[in-house]
Amino acid sequence: MGVLRMERRAEDNVYLHKDFHKALNQALIYLEKNFGEQAVRDYLRTFARDFYSPLRLAIQEQGLDPLQKHFESIYAIEGGDVLIEPSDDGQQLDIKVRRCPALAHIQASGDVVSPLFHLTHEVVNEAICDGTPYQARLIDYDASTGACIQRFERRDQR
Amino acid sequence: MISCTEFIPAYSAYFSFLDQLAGKKAVVTFWEYLSDNYLDNLRDLATQKGLRGCYEYWSLALNEEAATFVMTLDEENGFFEIDMQACPSKGRLLELTQMEPYPDYCEHCDVLYRRVLEPLGFTYDIDLSRTDKAQCTITVRKNPENK
Repeated sequence: MGVLRMERRAEDNVYLHKDFHKALNQALIYLEKNFGEQAVRDYLRTFARDFYSPLRLAIQEQGLDPLQKHFESIYAIEGGDVLIEPSDDGQQLDIKVRRCPALAHIQASGDVVSPLFHLTHEVVNEAICDGTPYQARLIDYDASTGACIQRFERRDQR
Repeated sequence: MISCTEFIPAYSAYFSFLDQLAGKKAVVTFWEYLSDNYLDNLRDLATQKGLRGCYEYWSLALNEEAATFVMTLDEENGFFEIDMQACPSKGRLLELTQMEPYPDYCEHCDVLYRRVLEPLGFTYDIDLSRTDKAQCTITVRKNPENK
């Protein structure tokens, strides 16, 4: 029985630990069970307002382009079946998700999905748009696949 | 969607939120819940393969998390160690300028893994004295009575 040794540097690997989706799902389940849906909404809003503040600032200054790049970047890493569609005039952006990579990973592990998982789109996207000329809407969410349309549009457009 | 590459700031913010809502005890209670509901793969591997199961579990996790580490398994002497030289989670939190990391963030690694491994007959130690540099050392030993 010898000694096994593994030595790695950060640059040896790509940062992609999909089980973190499972941990977030468990965190949402725990928060709802113990503190209610409003706590889940408050948590996601607080996190998103802080963490995405550089993105929010970029949207204020440059419109929807930085948001499009953001989604292109994360779905390129995560995979999934997703279409990112900006309107011709640049005033609307649709993220059309046919299969959510986060939900797919959670379901593949056999875990129950939080009934509030859609708030990771709805509340987070609303928080990203806070204080910008744009608003976010979650359209046609399918809880079984995570299929949905995440729409960003000018506040005066509806 | 919150990408898994953005999870660590979300995790830290979750601890801060819970602490403000209900105090540190509520954060620790959540860590215990997460240990019971999220770490089945470590529990199964350590149950079936002992320290080698720990080595297998962290081989996958630390490579996916792109950590800088040295991991050692010495089954003959009942010893497993992770020398974490650049923790990708704490490292990311230290780099953030738009939010304050939860001050006791690294303690979750103590609660989560200890709670899995000690009931299985291992001794679990973690040295958190260098977390300001995103470094720590985890040591797992097989208890002599379980040899």
